[in-house]
Amino acid sequence: MKVNPELIDEIKKYGAFDISACFNCGNCTAVCPLSKEDASFPRKLIRAGHVGMEEMVSSAIEPWHCYYCGECSSTCPREAQPGEYMMALRRYLIAKYDITGLSKVFYKTGWLQTWLTAGLFAAVLWLYNSYTGDFGALAGKIEMAFPVYVTIALGGYVLNMYRYAIVKPLGGIKATFKPTPIIETFIHGFTQKNINGCEEPDLVRWISHLLVMSGYTLTLVISNLHLLEPLNRLYGAFSPVSLLVWYAGLAIIVGGGSMSLRRIFKSSESSKFSHPSDWLFVVMMFLIGASMLATQYVNVTQGPASPLLAALYRVNIAIETVWIILVVPFTKWIHIFFRPLAVYFQHVKKEAAAGTAFTLQLGGSK
Amino acid sequence: MKELEKIEVDTLVVGSGIAGLQAALDLADQGYSVAIVEKAPSIGGKMISLSKVFPTLDCASCITTPRMASVSHHPRIKTLTYSTVDAIKREGRTFTAAVTRKPRYIDEKECISCKRCEEVCPVYLPDEYEQGMGAKKTISIPFTNAIPQLPVMHPEHCIRCGACARACPKDCIEFLQEPAPVEIKAKAVILATGYETTPMTAKKHYGVGELPNVISPMAAERLLAPHGPYGRVLRPSDGKVPGSIAYVQCAGSRDKSIGVPYCSRVCCMYAIKQAVLLSGSLPVADITIYYMDIRAFGKGYEQFYNNARAMGINFVKAKVARVTEDAEHNPIVRIERQEGTSAPEEVKHDLVILSQGLVPGCDVSKFGLGAGLNDFGFVQLSDETVSSAVTAGAGVFAAGVVKGPRDIPDSVVDAGSAAMEAASYIRKL
Repeated sequence: MKVNPELIDEIKKYGAFDISACFNCGNCTAVCPLSKEDASFPRKLIRAGHVGMEEMVSSAIEPWHCYYCGECSSTCPREAQPGEYMMALRRYLIAKYDITGLSKVFYKTGWLQTWLTAGLFAAVLWLYNSYTGDFGALAGKIEMAFPVYVTIALGGYVLNMYRYAIVKPLGGIKATFKPTPIIETFIHGFTQKNINGCEEPDLVRWISHLLVMSGYTLTLVISNLHLLEPLNRLYGAFSPVSLLVWYAGLAIIVGGGSMSLRRIFKSSESSKFSHPSDWLFVVMMFLIGASMLATQYVNVTQGPASPLLAALYRVNIAIETVWIILVVPFTKWIHIFFRPLAVYFQHVKKEAAAGTAFTLQLGGSK
Repeated sequence: MKELEKIEVDTLVVGSGIAGLQAALDLADQGYSVAIVEKAPSIGGKMISLSKVFPTLDCASCITTPRMASVSHHPRIKTLTYSTVDAIKREGRTFTAAVTRKPRYIDEKECISCKRCEEVCPVYLPDEYEQGMGAKKTISIPFTNAIPQLPVMHPEHCIRCGACARACPKDCIEFLQEPAPVEIKAKAVILATGYETTPMTAKKHYGVGELPNVISPMAAERLLAPHGPYGRVLRPSDGKVPGSIAYVQCAGSRDKSIGVPYCSRVCCMYAIKQAVLLSGSLPVADITIYYMDIRAFGKGYEQFYNNARAMGINFVKAKVARVTEDAEHNPIVRIERQEGTSAPEEVKHDLVILSQGLVPGCDVSKFGLGAGLNDFGFVQLSDETVSSAVTAGAGVFAAGVVKGPRDIPDSVVDAGSAAMEAASYIRKL
């Protein structure tokens, strides 16, 4: 086994500044309500980080089972912040899974991603403003490009995650097609229900999370199906599309606002430490909701020809463009895919251990 | 208030645990006069309530009572029990301590310790000497080998029936007794205020003292003591003989989340000692010690630990994260074994003892004697490498756990050192 003595310093660059205080007692794993027989964390992963077992860390799927309730951090005898270590590992893994290497650069260089986002926003907005044709039609095409871009980016991530979590450690392509793991994977994907397995379930956090999730998914649906053409159509205040927009926008603003407040006041273990990318994430979310609401509001009250609407719509599309290009693929946003996938990979690992997994041996048998 | 009682001595010793007793005796035997002030109704401190001591398994009271008796009968030692030191003032080369004798509500000079009052008193209280497991009367002698053998009445529980007053052959019950002030002048002060154990409520996940079968190590000492509350080892909730007993090590030490980051030095050894004693009194019981590291550092300690292992005491390397209980009040501990599968697991026991740590028994900085405290409230020595008793305050010395956690042999040794330093300080005055 190869040992990387710099591993722990590498992980510390993603957060987890206090983890060297750990004396390996295992309080964190034992206190964790989500830690289970086949997926025990955080201690083992902290130990693996300290002794430089890079393969074990980069193939780990346990970080995706952690919902950061903070129980481990608040009871840690060394105040080593194991919860924040798991958060840092998630960032570390995203950087691992990312083929472009940009996530790594962004995570390690603090506010770079934010400045780039701001710069790109200004550039895109300038481009949109200088476009003289039918912006409504252009926006339609831009919105159509979003899912293509995101799918390509995600595809890369998912394949790479599969490579790190399954192919490398298990030495081959393994899968399971049984109904239970697949159903469970989907249920976890939609509800993230494991968060409520945390002790003293943080209802506010879960609701904020659910609001943002549902609001954002709805926004995706609205934009990708191109339901909204504010420059070409007048919407009634209670038309079905408007209702969708009101809900999506308000859900994002309320959920995102509550998340930002928690980060500002550091009201729980999980919001004590904020990486610049966390701020970028919640602020961008908030802006998407706000600009979409404003656009729709002006459409409903002043009609599609309003010059204010033209300006607002460009801002809205510019924010979404920047969000899709720079934020979605390179922040924890993609965890909404990794968490359910981790549930699935857990089943694959279990079945591989039991010898019942579907196996595709590469390069002949060993 | 009564008239001010004045005492003048060479040395004032605050606290009469094993360190205070030893320091007082070492000074008095050299010819110096000593006043020893104890807040409890009896001298003897924590040690007198222990069952046995490690690693020799000597009887604790067999070591403590001779010293208690020597102190109480020594011609040069004046003992003030049930008394508190309210303030100590330094005036030139003399210390003046303001002490309050708390009322026992009896005439201490007349009482003949016949226990008649205790026999007739109709009101029972939980006995704090037995860690609340036994009962005592509202007027009673604190425990069988207490010194002095004087009863204390607790007026907040007394129903004023007068039975004790009628039964007393010496007519010494004084319902109207008041606190009495005492002034002690001394040339040197020895602080020997000892420790308290970290509270059962310290760690939120350990049941905050609400689980009846999760007990303190002091309670376990009483269960094991030959003259303990039940006379044998039973668990508190239902009087069942426990078949499975667990020790949770570092339940009150080495834990920043409860504000006690240091090692309390004695918990490993007292837990092993109690485990050994328990396997003697309950030969078929399973005894498990959940530990992070075993710190058996003193003479003969490692041997004692190895013997315990060889006896079949189960040592599990795991930090207990939670203690809960089932419907029958059987405590359940949740752990991750560091050696093994690393899967979190829950283990049920009949009785769990939280190995609490040691915290300062008294904030001695309130006396303003110039003796500094460290971050955890223990007295800071002026130079640990030169002396184990000299503090930054001239004429102020420290003995025992007041300087930080230590075991009985260490406390006795450095009580001697404190006496030595105090004697040489007084001679140079």
